[in-house]
Amino acid sequence: MSARPVPPTFATGAVRVFSLSLGEMLWSRRTVFLLLVTGAPVFLALVARIVQGSGVVPLRVNGAAVDGGSIFGMMIWVFFLRFIVPVLGVFYGTSLIADEVEDRTITYLFTRPIRRGAVLVGKYLAYLVSTTLVVLPSVVLVYFLLVPLGQVARTFVAFAVDLGLLALGLASYGALFALVGAALKRPLVSGLVFVFGWEQIALLVPGYLKKFTIAYYVQGLVPHAMPSEGVATLLQSVLRDNPPALVCIVTLAAVVGATLWLGVRAVESREYVLDQ
Amino acid sequence: MIVAADHLSKWYGQVSGLNDVSVSVPPGITGLLGPNGAGKSTFMKLITGQLRPSKGQVRVLGEPIWGNPGLYQRIGFCPEQDAFYERMTGREWVTALTGLHGFDERAAGDAAARAIAAVELTEAADRKIGSYSKGMRQRIKLAQAIAHEPELLILDEPLSGMDPLMRRRTVKQIKEWARTGTSVLVSSHILHEIESMTGNIVLINNGRIVAEGDVHQIRDLIDEHPHTVSIRTTQAHAVARELLADEGVVSVRFEPGGLIVETARPDAFYARVTDLAATGQFGPIHEITSPDDNLQAVFRYLVKQ
Repeated sequence: MSARPVPPTFATGAVRVFSLSLGEMLWSRRTVFLLLVTGAPVFLALVARIVQGSGVVPLRVNGAAVDGGSIFGMMIWVFFLRFIVPVLGVFYGTSLIADEVEDRTITYLFTRPIRRGAVLVGKYLAYLVSTTLVVLPSVVLVYFLLVPLGQVARTFVAFAVDLGLLALGLASYGALFALVGAALKRPLVSGLVFVFGWEQIALLVPGYLKKFTIAYYVQGLVPHAMPSEGVATLLQSVLRDNPPALVCIVTLAAVVGATLWLGVRAVESREYVLDQ
Repeated sequence: MIVAADHLSKWYGQVSGLNDVSVSVPPGITGLLGPNGAGKSTFMKLITGQLRPSKGQVRVLGEPIWGNPGLYQRIGFCPEQDAFYERMTGREWVTALTGLHGFDERAAGDAAARAIAAVELTEAADRKIGSYSKGMRQRIKLAQAIAHEPELLILDEPLSGMDPLMRRRTVKQIKEWARTGTSVLVSSHILHEIESMTGNIVLINNGRIVAEGDVHQIRDLIDEHPHTVSIRTTQAHAVARELLADEGVVSVRFEPGGLIVETARPDAFYARVTDLAATGQFGPIHEITSPDDNLQAVFRYLVKQ
């Protein structure tokens, strides 16, 4: 019998689980869903580009043409931040442990000399990398389809900020729903209620309730100027109440840290009974 | 003692999975025998730290197992469920899981290769697990359990789905692991399987330990009950003709993909079927299984005693 290696630390264990899970996650059926969801704005951007190329203005607000940069800003806000990022967070985050339990493969990970929490963190990292690898290229495509080359230099910093905040949004929603998935028996339903119920209502209600949503802090970081008149502006004025960027970043980082820590606690104390 | 349970109970809500079990498992090979639903899986999950005892305690290799991941460095577990990362090859899967024990990539690869060779899967190691037969899937599960050279191997129904020849080789391999100092706790609902590995058994039924000790006393009991064996083969009629010549065979009936034989002498019968499979005279014999009915009859008898 050869000498036994030292059991992995929490961090090493998480990295090993990450390596094991990344390929599985990228080639799962869920990735097809991910590609469909992120492909929709690319398709719309392509249509807008074709319309624009034919000499027709693709979008007008109160009769004024909206330029490509503003359309891109709206797509980031409406499609990516308010829909794609939370939806991916819900569907991937809640399934980090639940999928392994459902597939009955969790046994292989939970009977290794690594903490169960490292399994959760490793799988969370795999989620983050796999969703980022699909979402960000989609955003890049939308950007270059909508923004004329002449405006790239002027809008590039805002674009880079967009990419960063999308990654931060994926990290925040993913961590929150990783906790929900680790702690609750019906995590998907709870996650959908949070995103499409609680967040929508809390953002509309004046007062402090919106501070208990992730969307409030993610949207606070959106750098784009929106179209200045009309329904969109009215909605924006209701929905957007910008906290300082630093507050947003610190809060979102705290959400990631706290929810992951609670998720680790939950997964280490909970029993997972597999169906035979 | 490699496993010590003290007044161990487990409830799933109002349902009792295991009821006040106290048992000590010595080093060597020990068989855990019981029909499905007897509490075997619950006991296996408790001693592998997947479940927390509702009452009592369990110690494995002298330490509590729940919330003690470091102990898994010394334990190898082959679960019952047929569950894998289907898109990975056998080698990738065993290497990745071995890496979770702290081996660097190269050492994990070497350990995985040794384990895969031990279960005679080297030729199929680079195929995706999704393309494996049931017997191959059982063997790759065994490989992931032994790759890190554990002191204690816990095997939950390890021979399920294997053809007779592979069963024989796997039994031999398990005995070889025990001979080199690895303790093995193996569960099954087939007495014959357990008996071929060890004389030391623990009988479990209805969440309680019914008996523990030498298999031979139990053995005599089981021979009093007709034993049903299901054989999966493409040449069922030819195999049936051959087996009907045996003295112990009471009846034969056919079913899609094979036949079901009732025998009064299971020992001799299993040996005969394995020999038939080895000669290949009647084509491949893919699988032999024994329904729970045999063991249930013995347990009913034991409980009455």
